[in-house]
Amino acid sequence: MRRGSSGEGALWLCAGAAAACLAAIVALLVWLGAAGLAPFWPAPIVEIGLADGHTLLGEVAERRGSTLVIRGSERERIGGAYARIEADAIVSRDTPRDAFAVTLSDGRRIFGRGDPPAADALLRSIPGANASAPAEWPNAHGLFGRMGTFLRDAGRFLVASTMAPSLAGGAFPALVGTVVLVFLMSLIVMPFGVATAVYLHERRGFAASLVRSAIANLAGVPSIVYGVLGLGLFVHGIGADVDRWFFADRLPVPTFGSGGLLWAALTLALLTLPVVVVSVEEGLGRIPPGLLAGSLALGATRGETMWRLLLPAARPALLTGLILAIARAAGAVAPLMLVGVVRLAPALPVDGAFPFLHPSRQFMHLGFSVYDAALASPDALRGIPRAYACALLLVIVVVALNLAAIVLRNRLRERYRVLEG
Amino acid sequence: MATTMTAPDNVPGTAAVTVELPAGVEIALELRALSLWYGARQALDAVGFGVPARKITALIGPSASGKSSLLRCLNRLNDELPECRVEGEVLLGGTNIYAKDAIVHEVRRRIGMVFQKPNPFPLSVYENVAYGPRLLGVKGRRELDASVEGALKAVRLWDEVSARLDDSALALSLGQQQRLVIARALAVGPEILLMDEPASALDPAATLRFEELLHELAQRYTVLLVTHNMQQAARVSDYVAFLHQGRLVEFGDTDALLTNPRERLTEDYITGRYA
Repeated sequence: MRRGSSGEGALWLCAGAAAACLAAIVALLVWLGAAGLAPFWPAPIVEIGLADGHTLLGEVAERRGSTLVIRGSERERIGGAYARIEADAIVSRDTPRDAFAVTLSDGRRIFGRGDPPAADALLRSIPGANASAPAEWPNAHGLFGRMGTFLRDAGRFLVASTMAPSLAGGAFPALVGTVVLVFLMSLIVMPFGVATAVYLHERRGFAASLVRSAIANLAGVPSIVYGVLGLGLFVHGIGADVDRWFFADRLPVPTFGSGGLLWAALTLALLTLPVVVVSVEEGLGRIPPGLLAGSLALGATRGETMWRLLLPAARPALLTGLILAIARAAGAVAPLMLVGVVRLAPALPVDGAFPFLHPSRQFMHLGFSVYDAALASPDALRGIPRAYACALLLVIVVVALNLAAIVLRNRLRERYRVLEG
Repeated sequence: MATTMTAPDNVPGTAAVTVELPAGVEIALELRALSLWYGARQALDAVGFGVPARKITALIGPSASGKSSLLRCLNRLNDELPECRVEGEVLLGGTNIYAKDAIVHEVRRRIGMVFQKPNPFPLSVYENVAYGPRLLGVKGRRELDASVEGALKAVRLWDEVSARLDDSALALSLGQQQRLVIARALAVGPEILLMDEPASALDPAATLRFEELLHELAQRYTVLLVTHNMQQAARVSDYVAFLHQGRLVEFGDTDALLTNPRERLTEDYITGRYA
């Protein structure tokens, strides 16, 4: 009786822990989703009358306790028109329907009141102003109009290129950089990881177990250490040599001798090699020994057996390794900062010009965009929401890549179900 | 009983076993003083007899008597085990498969093996059978189709699976799987089939069908079968070899050996008096 009840208690404890984990994950996703999408929801333009007789026209950028921070028209520079107002200094607050906002090509926001000709006149009065889009009257929009603006801005964030780093424009270059980097890393790490796992699987003995434990320990090395290694080995070592041999005419301007996509992918491949090796080797170990014997008995060599039978049967494990590698690589920002990620890349690492993939180019990365927007932005009130948006996009990219691999793995599992049972 | 467990002095070595075969019996595989060590442990001790061609020879003997080890020696599967050492000769068509210039995978292609537990590959039914021919470099679809169909017909599986050749082989029943792996072995054109308790995982009905299949296969192939089941040995085999503690105790015609064994050990074993 006592044993039974204590077992029940342990069950409830475990169930509670599982529920807490689930709740934490759901809360994180909901919160990240809300915080990441909020920057695209059009804020109303407010007109605030102050006790000293001034009026302010702008957006509410932040509300902290009794203090409002209003973003007014940024006539000189981006982030240069914030006003902090105490609630007791406000005598009137209104959202006039004729208030308009114009976003300039460098991300500056200009506010005014009136009809379209008035907006044009206001724009002409600002030197060097270059509107990226026609003026808008957000206060006149109903819910659906705001939703339209929201979807348009979110879509623009996805597909537009960056105007100014960490402040305005789209995350498209960072998105492309992240995806291309992960793909290139996968292309490099999978052959090496699988080959290493095959070797360790075939070789028994002291040396192999030494290598195995060394690889397992590599998984625990902090990622920044890989970054330093990549900088020293790839960028300054191999990259400098490549430049001397093949791009001597361009020196002293480095081609491969500075950080770039290829070096970053190689560094991440090093970083993720242990997880691939470990999971593939475990997958090979789970294959029933009868398959090996059956294949050898048919006159296959060990190599033929590995290539034609064991590796195909271990494909679910290969994909598990790939999933873990993608998860680790997409989350590693620290090493990238040393081997080629930049705030604002002049060109995408992939384009329509031969050879389409440009391994020596510096690139942008969503993870670095999060860091850059959150900590290195000259305008924190724009940077932090943008960091959330980039973080949300990064999570979506990682989840999408993983889901693709998981769907593929489950389809393979279905085929080999009896094997695993 | 205890005295029979330790090999008595009167158990003869190879030289003493007189393998009496009727004149004119063709020998497919001849074992000469075959000894096997796993590290320091000796598993086979100078085993020698001839396996008659296109007949079924049953290997019987108590557990750990070396039956499976012997079988694995005959297509050099023991090579894959570390610290395994073989002495003696196995003559296949007059050449020693343990000769220095013997090609191991060629030997294994000529001497097929069927394991105790059906081990279909996690591939389709078709690809299971086509695995061997593909190894031999057969690429033409028509040629592959023909050898797959031929092998599946030879094991009487064609009618059951011809409609689902692309389904996973793992979805077949155990009896079908065992016939499939035999078809897989036949597809590379072996001369000899080694079978390690091939019916032990099957139910009685499937066992019966399997034994019928064995008789058909013996028309074309030499079969060497390990079995624990004395009735099965009596039902299906033409010759019996009795192994005890790694030594060949007796070899002969099934009817003669099972009804009138010459050795005391054999008699104890087949009458069930062996502990």
